[in-house]
Amino acid sequence: MTPVPGPHLSADDFDAWMSGALAPDTREHLDHCAECRERAEAEREIVSLLGALPLINPSPDFADRVMLSVSMPDPFSLRSLAGVIRGLFATPRAAAFATTVALVLVGSMTASIVWSLGHQETLAALGSWAMAEAWQTGWVALRGLASNLMEQPWYATIRDSLEHPARWGAISAFATLAYILGLVALRRLLALPAREVAHASS
Amino acid sequence: MANTPEWVALTDQQVVLLARGGREAAYRELIRRYERPVFALLFRMVRDRELAEDLSQETFVKALNAIESYRPEFKFSSWIFKIANNAAIDHLRRRELDTLSLDGSPHAETPEAMQATALQIGVRQESPLEAVEARELGGAIEAAIGRLRPEYRSCILLRHVEGRAYEEIAEILSLPLGTVKTYIHRARNELRLALAHLKE
Repeated sequence: MTPVPGPHLSADDFDAWMSGALAPDTREHLDHCAECRERAEAEREIVSLLGALPLINPSPDFADRVMLSVSMPDPFSLRSLAGVIRGLFATPRAAAFATTVALVLVGSMTASIVWSLGHQETLAALGSWAMAEAWQTGWVALRGLASNLMEQPWYATIRDSLEHPARWGAISAFATLAYILGLVALRRLLALPAREVAHASS
Repeated sequence: MANTPEWVALTDQQVVLLARGGREAAYRELIRRYERPVFALLFRMVRDRELAEDLSQETFVKALNAIESYRPEFKFSSWIFKIANNAAIDHLRRRELDTLSLDGSPHAETPEAMQATALQIGVRQESPLEAVEARELGGAIEAAIGRLRPEYRSCILLRHVEGRAYEEIAEILSLPLGTVKTYIHRARNELRLALAHLKE
């Protein structure tokens, strides 16, 4: 009978054996020691039995029941905003990114302010020129629109009706009445039924 | 981010950020991801389906209502398992359960109550003989797990049923790594001895 090399396997050795990472000298002991081999096989069997335990699911409406008791944050509340800001700085990488963006924003704003203070006359001249251009463009557009309207075939009819106040008053009264009737009809359509509808509860 | 993110592609941390933004779908995604493992852990800890559902619900409500306090540098799974394990240990400290029945809660008094609290296992393809054998073996190991000390039970379930790493289990249970390893080895040893008669 050949002597068994090395000490018996430890608990960590059995773990290493099961994950296929047993050291060669310990492996040699295992090959020669019937006691350790039997123990290792038994450990593996237990682990395999545990891994094969059946899946167990909660009842199908579990998520709905949980959600009934969960109060979700309002995304526009200050508390949620604080959470988002905290999230931005949650990891070193996210914090570095957020800091870089903040530095770029602050740097560009500062540069813009400094340039504006040093070139006030240029800015004033640019402002005057832009205002004059905008005014001229607006006036041309308005004149074009007015002449276009006056060339339309229905323009003369509208102008005639505006010259007779009685006809204008009748049109206004008719439009107001139609509006009120429309409101009443909409209100009746959107009202909840006072009684339970028989076929709705089946 | 798009209105309908591909949830499967998102990490837990990204889903948590969306939940913090007030998106209900993100809350439901977190529940979908962890309802089965959390419920399975709690069921095997307390061995009563109805009670496990209550404790699972308590776990999720507690976690999701405190989502603002979750620190993304830790795994979300560790956080929710920690809350679940604490709920189970608190319960077991208050009330000791020491028998297991695959046919229902040991506290059920009527056949209907037994049926309602019975272990409902996932569907598997197996022959009637295999089903009987699996039920006997499965029942024996479930019973043996139920006789372990609660701290051994948490460790062995997290390691060999849920497949968590030793380091994560140490984080979940707030125990030193060496203690976790010792508990798992002792638990395996106890299970081996408890199931030895089945081999004879």
